[in-house]
Amino acid sequence: MPDSTWFFDRRFRLAGTALALATLLAMSGCSDLGVKPWERDQLADPDMQLTVSGVDAGLDDHIYFSKEASSGGRGFGGGGCGCN
Amino acid sequence: MQLTNSKKNGKPVGRALAAATCALLGVQATDALAKDKPGEWDVETALLVYSEADDRVQAVEPVISATRNYDGDRKLNLKLIADTLTGASPSGATPSDVPQTFTQPSGNGSYDVTAGDAPLDDSFKDTRVALSTSWTAPLDRDYTYSVGAYGSREYDYLSTAVNGSLSRYLNNKNTTLTGGLSLGFDLVDPVGGAPTGLSRMPLKANKTGTQFDQEFADTRETDDTKTLVDALFGVTQVINRRTLMQFNYGVSYSSGYLTDPYKILSVIDDASGANFGGNLIGSDSNPVYLYENRPDTRIKHTLYWQTKYMLENGDVMDGSYRFMVDDWGITSHTVDLKYRWNMDKSYLEPHFRYYLQSEADFYKRYLTATEYNGGTPTLSDASADYRLGDLTGLTFGAKWGYHLDEDHELAIRAEYMIQTNDGDQGFGKLASQDLYPDTSAMWLQLSYSF
Amino acid sequence: MTTICVSAQDNPAKHPLPRITGKQRSWQGRFEAMASPCEILLDGIGRTDAEQLLFHAARETWRLERKFSRYVSGNPIDRINHSNGEPVTVDDELALMLDYAAQCYELSDGRFDITSGVLRRAWRFDGSDRLPEKDKTDALLNLVGWGNLNWQHPQLTLPEGMEIDFGGIGKEYAVDRVLLDLKRLLPEGSSVLVNFGGDLACSGPRTDDKAWIVGMENHRKLTDSSETLSLRGGALATSGDSHRYLLRDGVRYSHILDPRTGWPVPDAPHSVTVAAATCTLAGMLATFAMLQGANAEHFLKEQDVLFRVQRSWIQHSRV
Repeated sequence: MPDSTWFFDRRFRLAGTALALATLLAMSGCSDLGVKPWERDQLADPDMQLTVSGVDAGLDDHIYFSKEASSGGRGFGGGGCGCN
Repeated sequence: MQLTNSKKNGKPVGRALAAATCALLGVQATDALAKDKPGEWDVETALLVYSEADDRVQAVEPVISATRNYDGDRKLNLKLIADTLTGASPSGATPSDVPQTFTQPSGNGSYDVTAGDAPLDDSFKDTRVALSTSWTAPLDRDYTYSVGAYGSREYDYLSTAVNGSLSRYLNNKNTTLTGGLSLGFDLVDPVGGAPTGLSRMPLKANKTGTQFDQEFADTRETDDTKTLVDALFGVTQVINRRTLMQFNYGVSYSSGYLTDPYKILSVIDDASGANFGGNLIGSDSNPVYLYENRPDTRIKHTLYWQTKYMLENGDVMDGSYRFMVDDWGITSHTVDLKYRWNMDKSYLEPHFRYYLQSEADFYKRYLTATEYNGGTPTLSDASADYRLGDLTGLTFGAKWGYHLDEDHELAIRAEYMIQTNDGDQGFGKLASQDLYPDTSAMWLQLSYSF
Repeated sequence: MTTICVSAQDNPAKHPLPRITGKQRSWQGRFEAMASPCEILLDGIGRTDAEQLLFHAARETWRLERKFSRYVSGNPIDRINHSNGEPVTVDDELALMLDYAAQCYELSDGRFDITSGVLRRAWRFDGSDRLPEKDKTDALLNLVGWGNLNWQHPQLTLPEGMEIDFGGIGKEYAVDRVLLDLKRLLPEGSSVLVNFGGDLACSGPRTDDKAWIVGMENHRKLTDSSETLSLRGGALATSGDSHRYLLRDGVRYSHILDPRTGWPVPDAPHSVTVAAATCTLAGMLATFAMLQGANAEHFLKEQDVLFRVQRSWIQHSRV
C-alpha cells in the first residue's frame, strides 16, 4: 500500500512547484514569442522535429523501460511488455 | 558578390521561398519535400542488435514503420516490431560464499549458481511481437486530433492499449497545447503461474517429488492483470526562427499485478554465530528465498522539457531533461543531449545521456531473518530488483546517416550504456560479496528509410 | 461562343468582355489582362457554372491588375510612387506583398528588387543594338535599392524619386489568387486550370484523372507552341526574354537587369520554366534562376524542382 502521506512528501511539493513554474514560463511569454509564417523555413526542416526518428526513439524507450524505473515523458506511442 | 546563391544558412533557398509564398497566399504550408506527399507511403525500417556484458540479455529487434499521408494533413501510421530475447538477468538473490540452487520459474527444474557469482535467473528465450497504429487528422484550422492503438504478445504477457490526443494551435501556430489520454490493459501469464508475493521459493533438495509439487502449487496465484491510465499535457512553443521548445507534464496510474513474477529476494541470517551474513537455512535444510512483492498501485508524475536549436551552419542541438517522481519513493532525473553535425549528404550525431534514480521505498537488496519472521514477514512489499534501486546510468553513442536522395536515407547508430548501482552493503559474510555489479550494454542499429 | 457581361465598374481598363466556348462539361474562357491572353479551362461542370466562374475570374483578375499596376492613376501603387518621401499606409493584401518582396530580396541576396523598375528609363528592349550610357545607368542606380526604403507594417516610406513595381510577382500571384477563389466555388468532382500567358496553375487533374495538356513556347518560333507538357497538379511559370532583348556585336542582352549593377545579368538563359506547387513560387524560382545567369541550371538543380532552361539551341532540363 502506498504511504498515505505522500502528498506532503517534500518531493511532491518540489514537483508541484516545478510544474507551476514551468506552466507559468510556458504561458506567460507565449504571445510575445514566435515567428511570422514566412520565417518558418528552418523550423520546417525535418531535423528540427521534436522527435526526428520515431523508430530510434521507440527502440531506445523500450531499452530504458526495461532497464530503469522511469518511462515516458515525451508522449504516448509505447506500450507494455513483460520486460519490467 | 556571390556567384551562386542556392543556399542560405546551408539550406536550399527554395524551401524558404516556398514558406514565404505560402504566407503570401494564406495557404497551409505544404512541405517542400517529396516525403509527406499525399498518396505515398514513407517507410522506415531498422534492425537493432542489443547485447549486455557477462552473458546477460541479448536481443535482436527488427522494426518496420510505415506512414501514409492523405490530403489535408491526415496521416496513418502502422508499426510492427518483433524482438527475440535470450540471456538472463539478475534474479534479485544475493551471491553467496557457497554454491546456490534455485528453482526454475516453471517449477520443472533447477539451476545452479557458483559461489561468488551473481545469481542470474535461468536462461530464457522470449519472442515478442508488437503492432501499433495511429491516425492523425485536423478537426479544423485550430485543432488536430490523434487516435492510436497498441497490442503486443509474448509467451507470458499480453499488452493492449488505446490512446487519443487533441492539439490546439495558438499564436499563428507558434504555440501548440496538447492533451492526451491513454488506457492500457495487460494480462500477465507467467510461466509456472504467478507466485504469491513474499512466499518462499520451493526447492527440490531434501524432499520427495510430491512434497515439492505440493509446495509449488501452494505458492501460486491466479493469472493477473494490470490496468494503466496515462494522461499527458504539453505545450510546444516556437521561441524564435532557430529554437523550439516543448514542456510536458504527465501523470500515470497503474494498478493490478505490478510485481515481477520471476524476481526473488535472499533471506540472510542475522543471528550471531557461524552463519552471520549467510543464507538463512529453513526447516527443510534449504536456503530461504522469497518471491518479491510490489504494491498493487503506482502513481507517477513526469515533467519533461526539450529544446531544439539550429545553429547558423545548419547543425542542430537537441537537449532534454525529464524529472520523475512516484509514490513508490522513486525520484529520477534524465538528461539527454544530441548534436547533429550536418554535412553535404550525410550527418553525424553524437549522443550523451545521464540518468539518476533513487531507490523505491520497498527496495531491499536482501531481507534479514528477523524481517522474514519465520514465514510471516514483517513487511508487505519488498523487491531486490536492481532496477528499483539507487541507479546511475551513462550512455554514449553516435549515429551516422547518409541521404541517398531526398526520399532515401541509410543510417547506423551505436550506443554504449553503463549502469552502476548502490545500496546497503550487507553484513557479516554477505559484506564480502559484490552486491552491486555494474550493468553494461551495447546496441547497434541499422536503419533504412524510403 | 458566349460573351460574359461584366459591368464597367469591374472592368476599369475597358478590356474586351470575356468569352466562353466549349460543350457539355468542358469549357474554355478567355479574356485579356496584364498584357497577356488569359485562359480559364474548366472540366466537369455545366455551362451555367462555367459562365459564373469565368465572370469571377475576370473580375478578380482585373481587380488585381488595377491594384498592382503602375499605370493606373490613384491606385495604391501610384500613390506610393508619387508620395514624395511621405509615409503611405497600405492595406493587408499590399502588406503581404511587401513582406513577400522583402523576403525575396533577402533570399536572392539583393538580386530580386522591386525598386529596380526605374532602370527601365535607361533600357529599351526593342531588339535593336542601342545600349545605354554607363553614367545614365549609374545615375539611376541611386534610386534603386530595397534597403533604402522603410517598410514597417502598415506604413511604407519611399524616398523621393524611388518607385516600386510588382511586375515580377503580379501575374503569377494573380494566377494563384484566381485559382484559390475558383477552387472554393468549384462543385465537387470538377477541375480548373488558370493560364495567364504561359504562367499557369491547376486545381488537380481533369475529370477521369486525365492530365491537362499545356503547350510550351520554343523561343525560336515566337508564335508556335511546338512542345507540350502534361500537368496533373501544381503550377508552371516561365521567365523569358523571347520578345524583349537587345542584340549588339553578337551578344544578346536579356531584359533581366541586375539591380546591383544596373545592367543585364550576364549569360542569362533565354528562358526558364519551373514547375512548383504554386505559380508564385514557380515564377519566383524561375526569376531567381534567370538572375543567376550562367548558374541558372545549377541553382535549380539544388532546389530539387522540375525545370527547363533554354539557352539558344541548347536546352537543359530536369523533368
